[in-house]
Amino acid sequence: MRRDAVQPNIVLASLFLATLVAWLGLDAVSVAPNRIVPGQGVDVLGVAGWGGMAVSISPLLVALGLAWRPTPDRLRWSTGLVVLMLSALPVWLMVAAAFTVDPDMPQARMGIGGGVWMALFLLLLALIELRTRLTMPRARGWALLLVPLASLAACLSFGLEPLALRQEYQGRSEAFVSAIAEHLLLVGVAVCLSLLLGVGLAMAMRHWPRAQRVGFAILNFLQTIPSLALFGLLLAPLAWLSSRFDWLAAFGVSGIGWAPALLALIGYSLLPMVRNTYVALDEVDLDVIEAARGMGMSRGQVFRQVRLPLALPLILEGIRITTVQAIGLTAVAALIGAGGLGTFIFQGLGQAAMDMVLLGALPILAMALVADALLGALTDLLRPGGAT
Amino acid sequence: MMRKGRSSRGYGWLSPLLWLSLLLSACLGMEGLKGLFRLVEPDSQALIYDRADFIVLLGRHLLVVGVAALLAILLGVGAAVAVTRPGGRDFLPLVGQLASIGQTFPPVAVLALAVPVLGFGTLPIIVALLLYGLLPIVRNTLAGLEGIDPGVAEAARGMGMTGGQRLRQVELPLAAPVILAGIRTSVTINIATAAIGATVGASNLGDPIISGIVNGNTAHVLQGALLIGLLALSVDSLFARFQPASSS
Repeated sequence: MRRDAVQPNIVLASLFLATLVAWLGLDAVSVAPNRIVPGQGVDVLGVAGWGGMAVSISPLLVALGLAWRPTPDRLRWSTGLVVLMLSALPVWLMVAAAFTVDPDMPQARMGIGGGVWMALFLLLLALIELRTRLTMPRARGWALLLVPLASLAACLSFGLEPLALRQEYQGRSEAFVSAIAEHLLLVGVAVCLSLLLGVGLAMAMRHWPRAQRVGFAILNFLQTIPSLALFGLLLAPLAWLSSRFDWLAAFGVSGIGWAPALLALIGYSLLPMVRNTYVALDEVDLDVIEAARGMGMSRGQVFRQVRLPLALPLILEGIRITTVQAIGLTAVAALIGAGGLGTFIFQGLGQAAMDMVLLGALPILAMALVADALLGALTDLLRPGGAT
Repeated sequence: MMRKGRSSRGYGWLSPLLWLSLLLSACLGMEGLKGLFRLVEPDSQALIYDRADFIVLLGRHLLVVGVAALLAILLGVGAAVAVTRPGGRDFLPLVGQLASIGQTFPPVAVLALAVPVLGFGTLPIIVALLLYGLLPIVRNTLAGLEGIDPGVAEAARGMGMTGGQRLRQVELPLAAPVILAGIRTSVTINIATAAIGATVGASNLGDPIISGIVNGNTAHVLQGALLIGLLALSVDSLFARFQPASSS
C-alpha cells in the first residue's frame, strides 16, 4: 500500500474530536458536601489547572494526528493509546478526588461528571472502530478491555474513597451482593425452565403442525404485553391462588414476589426459545437426515447425533436472546417485590439518590453485555465444530 | 421458511378495530367494571383510580411514545440512509455495531441512566425512549438497505436514475417491510418502557399500576395493566395490518 494513498480515517478523527470537546466542555466531576445536597460541577481546569489539562489532552491530540494517515501500524499505535486513555480515566478520578474533595469532610462525595462519561463512551466507540479496521478477533477486543478494568480495580482498592458510587456500595455492600445473587438466580431459573419448556413445545409443534399456528399466535401475543402490565395482571390471580391453596402459600407463592416475576419471565422467554428451536430443528438439511438414516441410525440416534448438534447453535442463539431479555425484565420485577438489582434503581429514583440508581443500573448493563458476549462466543465456538 | 402464527391478511381491519374499541370503552367505561374489581378489593374505598381520567393518561402515554417514535424514525432512517451513501460509508461498520450492541442494553437501565443526566419528568423519558427506540430502526433499515440485490441497484443506475431517485423509488420501497418491522419492535418496547417511566415522574398509564403497588390496591394495578395491555395490542395489530406477511 502506498503511503500517500492512505485517506484520513474520518470516523476516528471525529470520535477523538468529539471526545476533546466533551472533555473540555463538560464537567469532569461533581463534588457535594454530603449525600443530600446536589453536587457542584468542576471542569477540567478546576481539577488540574492549565498544566494538568495540557497533560490530559495530549494523548488525544496524538491520537487525532495518527488518525490523519491511518496506516495499519498507526492504527495499532492508536489502539494502544485508546487503551491507555481508558485506563487513565480511573487514575484521573483519583487525581480529581485528591484536588477537589476536602479530606476533613468525611461525608463529602464526588460524582463522575458528564465529561468523563462521554469520554468513556466515545473512547469505547473508537476502540470498536479500531477493532473493525484492524480486523481483530472478537476475543482480543474483549481482552483489551481487561487493562482499563484492572486499572479501575486497582484505583478502587487503593483510593477513590470519596467516589459517590463507592460510598453507596459500602453503605449496602451486603444488600448489593444478595441483590446480584437474587437477580442471577431469577434469570437462571427462568432461562432453564423456559429452555426445557421451549424445546418441549417446539418438538410438540413439529409433531402436531396444527398446534404450531395457535402456539406461535399465543406466544406472539404474550410478547406484545408490556412487562409492567403483565406483572400487574398476574398479581390478582396469584394472590387468589395462594389464598385458596395453603400449600402454594407455604411454598412462597403470592401476588407479589418471585412467583409472578418468574411466571412473566418464562412467558416472555418462550417466544425466542421456541422460535429458534423450531427453526433450528426444521432447517437441518433433509439430505443429511437421509444420509444418517441410510447409515443405519435409528430415529433416536438421528435426533441425538445429527439433528440436535446441527441445531445447537441456533438454540444457543435463542438462549442468548432470552438471557439478555430476562436480565432487563428482572429489573422491572423489582417493582413487584421480586428483589434483584432493580430494587436499587427504584429505591434510588424514589429518594432522588442518583448514585444509588447507578449502583443498580450499571451492574445490570454489565451483566447483559457479559451474558451477550459469553453466549455469543459459545455459539461461534460451536458453529464450525457442530458441523463435523 | 417459517410460517408466521399471525397473518395480517385474514383479519384485515377487524382485529385493530376490535382492540381499539375495547381500549376506548375500557378507558371511558371503567366504572362499569366496578363489580369485577370489587372481587379483588372487597373493602377498598377508592375502587377506581381517580387521580386522573384514564383517557387523559392514555393521551399522555400516546403523546410520549408518539413523539419519541416519530423522532426515532426520522433520525434512525436518516442515519441508516446516510451511512449507506458513498459519502458516509466510513461510518457504516461503527453505526451497525453500535446498533447491535446497544440492543443488549436493557430498556430499564437506559431509562435509569437517563434520569441522572436529564432529570425527572416527561422530557427525559422522551429522550430515553428516543435513544433506545433508534436502535431497532437503525439496525433494520441497514439490514433492509444492505439486503437489496446489487443487481437491482445496478439496473436502476443503468436506467439513468440519480442517487436520490434510486433511494426514493427503488431502495426505500424494497426495504420498507424490514424497516416497518424495526419500527414495530421499537414502538412495542417503547410502550412498555414508557409505562415504567411513571416511576420517574411521567404521568401516563403506568401511574395506576405504580400507585396501586405502592398503596397495596390491586384494583388500581389491574386497571392500569388492562389499559396498557389493550394499548399494546391495538398498536401491534395496527402494525400487523400494514405489514405485508414477513418475519418481524
